[in-house]
Amino acid sequence: MQDTLNAILAKAQPELAALKTRADFEAAKARYVGPHGEFTALMKQMGTVPKDQRPAMGKLVNEAKAQLSAQLDATLERIAAAEIAAQLGPAVDPTLPSPDVGPGTTHPLTLVREEMCRILRKAGFTVADGPEVETEYYCFDALNTPPDHPARAEQDTFYFPETARFANVAKKIPGEKYLLRTHTSSVQIRTMLKGEPPIRIVSPGRVYRRDTSDATHSANFHQLECLYVDKNVTVRDLKALLDYIFASLLGKDTKTRFRPHYFGYTEPSFEVDLSAKHLPKVKKEWIEIGGCGMVDPSVFEAVGYDANVWSGYAFGMGLERLAMLVYGIDDIRYFYQNDVRFLKQFA
Amino acid sequence: MKISLNWLKQYVNLDGVPTDELQRAITFLGFEVEGVVNTALVPLANVVVGEIKTRAKHPNADKLSVCTVDVGATHGGIRTIVCGAPNCDAGNRVPVALPGAVLPGDFRIKQSKIRGQPSDGMMCAPDELGLGGDHAGLLILDGSLAIGLPINEALPGGDTVFDLEITPNRPDALSHIGIARELGAWFRKDVTYPEVTFRGETHGVRPDILGEIRVESPEDCPLYVGFAVAGVKVGPSPAWMQERLKAVGLRPINNLVDVGNYVMLELGQPLHVFDAKKISGRKIVIRLAADGEKITTLDAKERALNSRMLVIADATKPLVVAGIMGGADAGVDESTTDIVLEAAYFRPQSVRATSKRLGLASDSSYRFERGVDPHSTLEAARRAVDLLLETAGGTVVGPSFQVGGDRPWSREITVTPAYINERLGFEIPATEQRAALEALNLRVVREEPTEQRGPAWTVSVPSYRGDLDRPIDLVEEVLRLYGTEKVPAAPAVGPALVDSEDAPTVIFNRAVTSYLVGQHFHECVNYTLRSAKELKTWVSDSAVQELALTNPFVEEQSHLRPTLVLGLLESLKLNQSRGNHVARLFETGRVFMELNGIVQECAGVGFIIAEDPKARTWLPRPAPDFFAVKRHVEIIAAAAGIDLAAQPLVPVTGAYWGWQEGQAAAAGEIKVGWTVRFGLLNLAMVRAAGIEGKVWAGMFAILPEKLAEQQTRRMRPKFQPVSNFPAALRDVAVVADQATTTATVQTFITGLTPKLGLAADVKLEVGPIFDQPYKLPGNKQSLAFPLHFASGQRTLTDQEVNDAFKKLQMLINESGNYNIRS
Repeated sequence: MQDTLNAILAKAQPELAALKTRADFEAAKARYVGPHGEFTALMKQMGTVPKDQRPAMGKLVNEAKAQLSAQLDATLERIAAAEIAAQLGPAVDPTLPSPDVGPGTTHPLTLVREEMCRILRKAGFTVADGPEVETEYYCFDALNTPPDHPARAEQDTFYFPETARFANVAKKIPGEKYLLRTHTSSVQIRTMLKGEPPIRIVSPGRVYRRDTSDATHSANFHQLECLYVDKNVTVRDLKALLDYIFASLLGKDTKTRFRPHYFGYTEPSFEVDLSAKHLPKVKKEWIEIGGCGMVDPSVFEAVGYDANVWSGYAFGMGLERLAMLVYGIDDIRYFYQNDVRFLKQFA
Repeated sequence: MKISLNWLKQYVNLDGVPTDELQRAITFLGFEVEGVVNTALVPLANVVVGEIKTRAKHPNADKLSVCTVDVGATHGGIRTIVCGAPNCDAGNRVPVALPGAVLPGDFRIKQSKIRGQPSDGMMCAPDELGLGGDHAGLLILDGSLAIGLPINEALPGGDTVFDLEITPNRPDALSHIGIARELGAWFRKDVTYPEVTFRGETHGVRPDILGEIRVESPEDCPLYVGFAVAGVKVGPSPAWMQERLKAVGLRPINNLVDVGNYVMLELGQPLHVFDAKKISGRKIVIRLAADGEKITTLDAKERALNSRMLVIADATKPLVVAGIMGGADAGVDESTTDIVLEAAYFRPQSVRATSKRLGLASDSSYRFERGVDPHSTLEAARRAVDLLLETAGGTVVGPSFQVGGDRPWSREITVTPAYINERLGFEIPATEQRAALEALNLRVVREEPTEQRGPAWTVSVPSYRGDLDRPIDLVEEVLRLYGTEKVPAAPAVGPALVDSEDAPTVIFNRAVTSYLVGQHFHECVNYTLRSAKELKTWVSDSAVQELALTNPFVEEQSHLRPTLVLGLLESLKLNQSRGNHVARLFETGRVFMELNGIVQECAGVGFIIAEDPKARTWLPRPAPDFFAVKRHVEIIAAAAGIDLAAQPLVPVTGAYWGWQEGQAAAAGEIKVGWTVRFGLLNLAMVRAAGIEGKVWAGMFAILPEKLAEQQTRRMRPKFQPVSNFPAALRDVAVVADQATTTATVQTFITGLTPKLGLAADVKLEVGPIFDQPYKLPGNKQSLAFPLHFASGQRTLTDQEVNDAFKKLQMLINESGNYNIRS
């Protein structure tokens, strides 16, 4: 019997070592320790062993059983490990690049616009929007621009034929022409006509000028304007807003200054200069960044506000110009080419 | 407009004011200085005339020369100087800065060694002496100037010329006297007007020179002044006048023409000088032209006039386009002996319209368009007569004419210093305010107390400041002279309770931009205006017509965009042609949707996903497909408050431009406020656009007002309890015609729920198909859906689920359109 035990163990060892799959293992396990297995059969013969030999034989059998059981466990462990290894495949080279597309990028004009809107939101300004196709009233008349003002000429402003019908842009004056807005100030008029002061809005948006395209001009570009209407709004409040905006955007070293200027819709009117020599590609001490002023009483009159009660300021600037300044971009056309080598720089 | 400093100094004492200080003053008075050209030398010690004797190449530097230069015995005779200028040739006389000289910009000249060669001074280029001009080479001096002569003696005189941008509200500043008035106010210096001696006296009557002036259009010409001068002698104008005209960029012609230009640049009043013998009938008529009448202007171009254009005519023909330009054959020439001088005020709108219609502008029309001061017209004419007599001789003869201009000027504005300070938000003392106003010739003619606001001033406005007529205008004047630079900083932006939210379009754009960037798209910005040719690939010819501008600037930008896809294709093409591998692009922005001749301006979102045929990768990924696009479109629509799953989705046919039939879908209509198209772009169109590979796209457009409506309607969601009981699952495979869409079958099955005899607490949810549609013979297909039976209150029994499922199968088989797949 001892010989038989040894023979089983001797046979089991190479057989188990050669097993590859869990099914083969289960079959092999059944052959040895299953109900009809060789080892089980041997155990059953214990009854035939003479009584005096039983303790010794029992010990032998138990030892062999433990040995076989350990071999089986080890085999199963080995197969389970091999199964996991097979699921995983070979180890990855972590330096290989991901073949997936990405990442996406936000356009620099959007980045600058949104940053300005966030800065202005802290000062209580919410974003207003309006149509890009406008009528002469909203773009010019209500903004104190007389009918024969050069800015209104077909030379400078894009118009549509008198027969054009834009269903969701209402005309204020019968017979007035549709045009592409030349500034986002039309949004100020729409906002003031719709509501009552106090008003604090920022209106970023696309505007159009009939102009040659070059490094600093483009047929359409973007503006960002602020309008504040309340009681007792002063020139100094306007200066405070501009100081705040540009210090937030460009750093505390940034200074602003006013130069007297002329706009039909503000009085007094100023051009705004920035001193921000820490920015890339800024060589001059002062650079012009926008126009502003106190809302002209004639504009209040046009929207039905009492100019003796209400006062306000307005400020406007070009977003492209601002983005060029912030990022040191030297040609406006980059914004409209959408070369991804450009776009990826600002994400 | 160019302003000469020498000329200015005739009217206001600016001695000792450095150029940069003047420039600053002009800037802060509100006139942008676009350029300064300085031809006057500042006093420079130790800079003398030298003559280059020899020139040799520098041994250690390619671009340098070693010269010997004679600077005169008193300055040490011959010196060796290293020079980098290309024109340091022997024989040239040039300015030499000797050691000890200090050039503008605090540039100190010393003996030095340049690349190992000693250099005993510096030869100078114009800019190094503080003169205008470039740095291209040395300033070559007149060969007759003595060697050793101090440079200030060699180059006496000179001038500083400012090029100014005058804002349209300030026509009064379009002259030297106008700028002198402003600078006088800034520096608080008196302004001296030119002395005018002629007071209208005439010597004899000569109707054979000029018999009549008649104004037929007094509305367009409210004032016309004419003086006749007999016996003038045409010749060059005096040197001082020529010098000033040249300084501001005008070419001197002769004394008669030059006087006209001179007075215009001096006082801002354009003038015209007629040769009397060319005035047919001795009669000047200011009238509207006849339609079809012609004139050949001084620039030798024939111009067709119409009945809205004002002309100065004689008995037979137009002589001058009023206020704009004279006729070629009415002007003065060498044979002129008798002249008529015109000074007038023309209505700005009339001059502007005619100038624009003719495409003809001049220094004169520029001023008339902006408005000259009619109350100074006569004085300017008298000034011109003085100068004519002085430079060309002759005598003023009668009759002289003044037509119109009878209304005297008077304007007063009442303002309180308190009001000015309130508008400013900081204090400028009343005395300082008053001083500023009076410096600008805005005199306080009366001062009266008010009840609470201190004194009220009545301020008289001079005739040349027609732009001032309200108290707020005086706020600007006070601030201008106080200095806009000095507006104090405020510690913080004042608070305001404004109850408003960002516009719905803005919130929507932000949401979709954030989503698409997160989905690896690059945001693009393209032009709104596109070409007709491009539009025709996308919309019908009639729509193209509705989107056209009246006056495009260039052909490629003549129409409003009806989609963002065309711009994105252009961006894709650019990137492909530059070898950039790009798959995903998007843009948000306004698009213009045409329907039956009516255009709607919509908020749009467009994106493209391009196959990149040239991409090489170590690990290929599945190609993009329709359903990837569909998911993006669903999420974009959801951001606008639209549940795309609840909308009928139609496959596109040939009627949808730009999309590939059978590979794209559409939902919504601009009639209901929004529309979406998505899927594969028309392969032929994409190829014609020069793009390689397939391109999938999505284009969503919504009316801004619809977006606002959706956002206000969107309510805060209410919590729904989540069931703790498992659902019972059954699968059903339905046989339907191949033409039937999956959504139709799914809706049909869902619709059977009430007929299944389910308890009230049981709900049936028909899930999305879990296997590919399976084609069967006879143009049929099999669609397999999972069915979820669930109650929020209990676990269902097998019995009730089986009963309901059997009932469902029976109803499907009885439907006539569908069968259970056996």
